[in-house]
Amino acid sequence: MTTDRARYEALLLPHIDAAYNLARWLTRNDHDAQDVLQEAMLRAFRHFDGLRGEARPWLLAIVRNACWSWLRANRPAELPAAEDEQESDAPGPEALAMREFDRRALNEAIAALPLAFREALVLRELEDLPYKDIARIAGIPIGTVMSRIARARRLLAQALQPAAVPRLRVHK
Amino acid sequence: MRTDERLHAYVDGELDAASALELEREMAQNPALRASVERLRELSAAVRTHADYHRAPARFRRAPQEKRRWLVFAPAFAMALLLGAAIGLYFDRQGEEAELVASHVRATLGNRLIDVASTDQHTVKPWLSARLPYSPAVADLSSEGFQLQGARLDYIGGKQVAVLVYQRRLHTIDVYVWPGEETSRGAFARDGFNVERFAYGGMSYAMVSDLNRNELDDLKRLLERR
Repeated sequence: MTTDRARYEALLLPHIDAAYNLARWLTRNDHDAQDVLQEAMLRAFRHFDGLRGEARPWLLAIVRNACWSWLRANRPAELPAAEDEQESDAPGPEALAMREFDRRALNEAIAALPLAFREALVLRELEDLPYKDIARIAGIPIGTVMSRIARARRLLAQALQPAAVPRLRVHK
Repeated sequence: MRTDERLHAYVDGELDAASALELEREMAQNPALRASVERLRELSAAVRTHADYHRAPARFRRAPQEKRRWLVFAPAFAMALLLGAAIGLYFDRQGEEAELVASHVRATLGNRLIDVASTDQHTVKPWLSARLPYSPAVADLSSEGFQLQGARLDYIGGKQVAVLVYQRRLHTIDVYVWPGEETSRGAFARDGFNVERFAYGGMSYAMVSDLNRNELDDLKRLLERR
């Protein structure tokens, strides 16, 4: 037991911030993120024997699945509908015109992304994970990772465009 | 792969070498494409620089305390213990009550009903006091219709007890008295005898008789009044 704990602490604890960050971005609040992470870390501790290869994608996959299970049970409306995976007619990268943005607007825009795109973006940009690891964590093909990341950035760019801002203003 | 997906993959360093080379050749001739890639890099950098990175609370910085599995069974275990104790106590009481009735029956059948035959409480009380480590109250209740016949010693539930013997009409009433109020209380019938148990003045009482319950209650009230 002691050696298990030591091994766990050596291998998984370095990734605890990544685990929490993912849970926090997927549940979008601290309280739920802590609940989910608690559950996920217990699972990770119990199934430690199953760890092969790198610890970070392995742990993040557990956290990610715990988040999705939690959302499925508590906020089913946030789960992607089938059509979310279809390609949209969103404008191409030409529309990605944005230079100045404020931090708060950026965080709100990321939080507003649909779950699957938010997940892909957070894993890619905040965890700097390669597509193959994201594919493994989210349990999707690499091609889907690629299209989700592209879509996530497109949606984000749209949300952050100056043109999008007036719509957020309160009309008197 | 859609064109823009190719750009994203390129920015992410996920394009294979051949495709990346080809894209770079295209970009060299296409300023708009170059600008698109540049904007993607900016967006990516902006997210990396400005998006909140949530650090885990301190309580997660050690291995989780696994709840001990057997604790799951603790409530059931406690219930079982309690039930066992209750059953044990029940049979214990049953055993003691059976002993009381058996004692009464033995005494009335044979000739050992009374060790000290006296209607005088001032004879009976010293006799008991001399033989027991305690001195039960002995009341003369003849004016209320319960004649004191005497007393004997008996052994009930692993302890020496005083037995005061009263008579009402043709009925013999054994009143068992021992120190402590830990006795169970209440009235019940067993083998045709009425048994009533109560505690009073630091003593436990058990009355056994074939007398009816109402009159047994009267005796109880009289004893409690002393």
